[in-house]
Amino acid sequence: MKVKFTLNGKPVELDVNPRETLINTLRLRLRIKSVKRGCERGECGACTVLINGNPVVSCILLTIQVNGAEISTIEGLTGDILFEKLVKNFIESGAVQCGFCTPGILLTAYAGIKQGKIRNSEDAKEYVSNLCRCTGYVKIIEAIAKTASEVWSYERRV
Amino acid sequence: MSVEFKFIGKRTPRKDAEAKVTGTLKYTYDLEVPGMLIGRIVRSPYAFADIRRIDISEAIRMGAVVITPSDIPQKPYNPRLVSINEVTYKDTYILTYKPRYLGEPVAAVAASNEELAQKAAESVKIEFERIYKPILDPLEAMKPESPRIHEKILRGDKWIEVENNIAARLDYDEGDVDRGFEEADVVIERTFKTGKRYHMQLEPKAVLVIPEPGGKLTIYTTTQTIHNTRILISQLFDIPESRINVVRVPIGGSFGSSIQTNYLVPIAVALALKAKKPVKIAYTREEDILDHSNFVFHFKIKIGTRKDGVFTAAEFTNILDVGAHQVQPYPLLGTSLGWFVSMYKWKNIRYRGIAVYTNKVPGCALRGYGAPEVQWAVETIVDEIAEKLGIDPVDLRLRNYVGRGEIFWGQGPTVRSVIRSDGVPELLLKGREIIHWNERGNPREKKGRFRRGIGVGRGFHTSGAGGPISGEVIDYTGCILKLNEDGTLDYITALQDHGGGTLDAHVKIIAEELEVPPELINITTASTETTPYDVCTHASRGTYVGGECARRAAQIVKQRILEVALRIIGKAVNPEALRIGYDEGLRQAVVYVEGTDIKLTLAEIARISWQRNWGTIGAFVSYRATSAPPSFTVYYVEVEVDTWTGIVRPLRVIAGADVGTPINPDMVEGQLHGGFAMAWGMAFTENTAYDPVTGEIMGRGLITDYKIPTAADVPIPEEFTIIIAKTYEPTGPFGAKGLGEAAMNPAVAAILNAVYNAIGIRFYELPVTPDKVIEALKERGELEW
Amino acid sequence: MMYTIPEDIEFIIPGDLKETLVLMSKLSDVKVLAGGTDLVVDLKTGRFKPKYVIYIGGLRELEYIRDIDGALHIGALTTIQEILDSKIIAEKTPLLRAAAEKFAYWQIRNIATIGGNLCNASPAADTAPPLLVYDAIIKAESVRGSRLIPIREFFKGPRQTALEQDELVTEIIIPYKGLENSSHSYFKIGRRRGHDISLIAIACAVRVERGIISDVRLALNSVAPIPIRALSVEKALIGKKPSIEIIDESSKLVVHDISPIDDVRAPAEYRQYMAKLLTREALLEVLKKHSGDVK
Repeated sequence: MKVKFTLNGKPVELDVNPRETLINTLRLRLRIKSVKRGCERGECGACTVLINGNPVVSCILLTIQVNGAEISTIEGLTGDILFEKLVKNFIESGAVQCGFCTPGILLTAYAGIKQGKIRNSEDAKEYVSNLCRCTGYVKIIEAIAKTASEVWSYERRV
Repeated sequence: MSVEFKFIGKRTPRKDAEAKVTGTLKYTYDLEVPGMLIGRIVRSPYAFADIRRIDISEAIRMGAVVITPSDIPQKPYNPRLVSINEVTYKDTYILTYKPRYLGEPVAAVAASNEELAQKAAESVKIEFERIYKPILDPLEAMKPESPRIHEKILRGDKWIEVENNIAARLDYDEGDVDRGFEEADVVIERTFKTGKRYHMQLEPKAVLVIPEPGGKLTIYTTTQTIHNTRILISQLFDIPESRINVVRVPIGGSFGSSIQTNYLVPIAVALALKAKKPVKIAYTREEDILDHSNFVFHFKIKIGTRKDGVFTAAEFTNILDVGAHQVQPYPLLGTSLGWFVSMYKWKNIRYRGIAVYTNKVPGCALRGYGAPEVQWAVETIVDEIAEKLGIDPVDLRLRNYVGRGEIFWGQGPTVRSVIRSDGVPELLLKGREIIHWNERGNPREKKGRFRRGIGVGRGFHTSGAGGPISGEVIDYTGCILKLNEDGTLDYITALQDHGGGTLDAHVKIIAEELEVPPELINITTASTETTPYDVCTHASRGTYVGGECARRAAQIVKQRILEVALRIIGKAVNPEALRIGYDEGLRQAVVYVEGTDIKLTLAEIARISWQRNWGTIGAFVSYRATSAPPSFTVYYVEVEVDTWTGIVRPLRVIAGADVGTPINPDMVEGQLHGGFAMAWGMAFTENTAYDPVTGEIMGRGLITDYKIPTAADVPIPEEFTIIIAKTYEPTGPFGAKGLGEAAMNPAVAAILNAVYNAIGIRFYELPVTPDKVIEALKERGELEW
Repeated sequence: MMYTIPEDIEFIIPGDLKETLVLMSKLSDVKVLAGGTDLVVDLKTGRFKPKYVIYIGGLRELEYIRDIDGALHIGALTTIQEILDSKIIAEKTPLLRAAAEKFAYWQIRNIATIGGNLCNASPAADTAPPLLVYDAIIKAESVRGSRLIPIREFFKGPRQTALEQDELVTEIIIPYKGLENSSHSYFKIGRRRGHDISLIAIACAVRVERGIISDVRLALNSVAPIPIRALSVEKALIGKKPSIEIIDESSKLVVHDISPIDDVRAPAEYRQYMAKLLTREALLEVLKKHSGDVK
């Protein structure tokens, strides 16, 4: 079946088997390796991508479901001011250990901060449910909260 | 000891951070080569069976490359080569006609893509000669009437008969235990049982095997030891090591799951050799759960104490549920004993350790290698003793713990050292203050729905397995450090970074020794053919052993640099007047002579040496540590128990660590955060449950039912306080010790001791799921519901 | 174990609702794919092996939230995140919002649909308890026309609904008029504080008028083959004066409405105990909002 979508701003046109999952299309056809296969059950979040700005798990999405959508992965966010801020805080906080969960978490945090859903560490704990086995989450939450407060500092939560 | 370091102890970005946050870092899973085949493993649908025939005709008709046990040399092996051969028990076959756990590999196929390979795998038909009822309980397995899971196995190079499904034994006696109990005023005996945990490292195991022109093999895999992987493949397939190259690839976490060479590696090698093409196999998460998990521990511990709180005797019976194959439960019997002995001064000890086969996924080391389990049990009993005797639990620990000047058993009876650095008093006392220990209250007086409690746990882990004499454990490392022609350095080591920043720590150590800024030191790619042997990155030895090796290499390079500098300077300079120092302005190392204008940058020295044909300045070091010092950790945890739902939440954590000198402070913190989260999962949710009839992991092994903590389950950052003890380990590089496992070990005890302080109930079986809490409260007559 | 979607399933993407209904009337052994957070996994693990999968996720006309004449009309393809973000739902049908908040996690909520959650008909369906409390109505359409199925008749068993083979759920109607003076509460329990499948969840709405409970509705999931209304409890409370004693007594009666099972997640006793506890909790919470009415 034919599908059309944009990936990191570039138009993509493919003819895929309808059973093909989005993660396989991204990793195997389009060679986007930052999207990781962690469980293929939608439980771990390592395969997170942004569809029209919203984080979704790509392992249980079929590629035919994203026809007409805008897909973003971290490859496409280099240069984005918010993303660069987030990445800087991640590195400085020491929130990166083995790195396998990192792309998924960065995308989720990025979307959450951008949409105003994440403005502090409580929000981060609620909206970032990706699994990480190395860090125990503390530095991840710190880095996200720091970025969120830099972005939303002029708005106070009542 | 307070020392000012230039680079050590500073927070710097990890060298691989950029690649990780841009998604450009490739893990084994991500690797591709043209022409590669994808392999899929055919697995036994029964937990305990003998196969009569495997019909692969359909798979072959599909064009797949197929292997069955008949295609593989039937040599039993053990995938973990850390122990010496004489005590390595071998009962695993690359592919087998006698599966002993549900999911065990019996055949494998490879095809041009994953779907085709999966179809070929599914087309394979297995005929069974006999199917047995799976044995899932070690006590059941030991009964004489139980069928034997294995009959004959190799121990070293000798065949031995397996009796009563006992895989290995270890006994130990010290002093006179019975008299010790007689002298005791109080004797407490308890039994403990754990769940069967799974590592849940985010990256499922994978391998890529490439047959090279000329007959060499290149292997990329998720491993903690490229060298042991090479040696194993060499032994299994009778290929000289010089024709196998195992390349180090970044790994997405491990926690002990790849100390052994994972089962998919020899299978991929066999497929690649048959197909004469590259073969890649990557596990799904469900297969990963079938590849490795932790042991189930059954403990019976009896402690005798005088009423003044001095221990008099200890008896420890340890039944290890191994699973279907040995990945070295024998050394685990030893380390469990070692952790036990090193916790407190028991005076008289009796230990009986038995490892037993069952039809479950083979158990292997999981962060701590028995220490979290042993320390949970011991710290629980010590808490009970304190209560019984009316002594403060912290004081009781201080009175009896094995500390400075005493003998520490790092990893069992053959690995012993004298403890030279000890931060325990500092950590226990500081933490006690911060958490307001004296205000924690009495569980009997706590009422209402939400009850809070504070608990303490004290423990440690070894830093590697070095020692003055060689014993049953292989532990040495090596590295190469060379000066490049522009004054930068290449650091080459086989050690692996699982995520904890080990190699960045080495860079800082080299930087400190050589006065060269870390950004000029390159961590090179590594493979078996370009590195000296390193046994494995495990046992928290990365910083302590690897780091010291790096420091020695830096020392040698420093010496050579000074020699070359002397040659360049030419004048009648007293060699002892030459100094090397870090020049902040130039951001470089500089060789100078005090009191003169003589100054040469390292870049100049390197360039001149090159231009004048004076050779490469470098060092090749192979190093074995002579001791394995303990890193002590202390946890104080405050929890809140919801007595209506049985769900517990963490309120505050004080994590104290004695790591000697912290090399990467943010990595030290990261280990403690991660260790705590792992301990939380061990305490409350993690277990792979087996169907008692089929021996299949319940929930089909999908991780919907293997719950690890999420960000919502840990305390908020403000409530996680870390104390680093001000200690200095004289045998470690710039005073450093390890941390990876110590970061977790005593946390489980602290958490469950806190639960006790909240609701007055102790739990002796893990995980403590919400329904167990409710059950216990009900039994106490607390619930009207 | 490797789970892939079988090859012999035919996927069809209709262009609009009409085309969808025609297909459903012509074909048998069909599964309808919306968000797929349940179905894709089920197809992979082989729980379902249909001949056809009809993908309706592209039918934007089924994604809406409208306030019409004292009832909210929610298109079946509205995602759970859209429900969570909706101001009108927060205002008019807050129990549904409460369930959406505890529904899995953000990445799933962005894909999962309310129609999908209902048609999957898991005993643990998160949207069911609020909809049962609100006595929602499910609109099912086919080539033969449309019909309205009261939610209490919708669930027939685990993963079984009252839908005919050719019917498609297109809308969920939640009458909220008459609920303005009710207070409500919602609880969901998992195995950890992070996201989880429901071990048990309860939604509750109570109206107290002139010191008497004039209306009470309680619904639970994960305690029976289908999500249920706790009718025994409701019967015991209606017309009574709210008090702690009456709540204690009546919440125990929930055992007559449930039949929990042992599974890998929790034993039956725990669910039974939690059902009683949560029923009591939910009622107490609601009546706290009528403080002064509870003695």
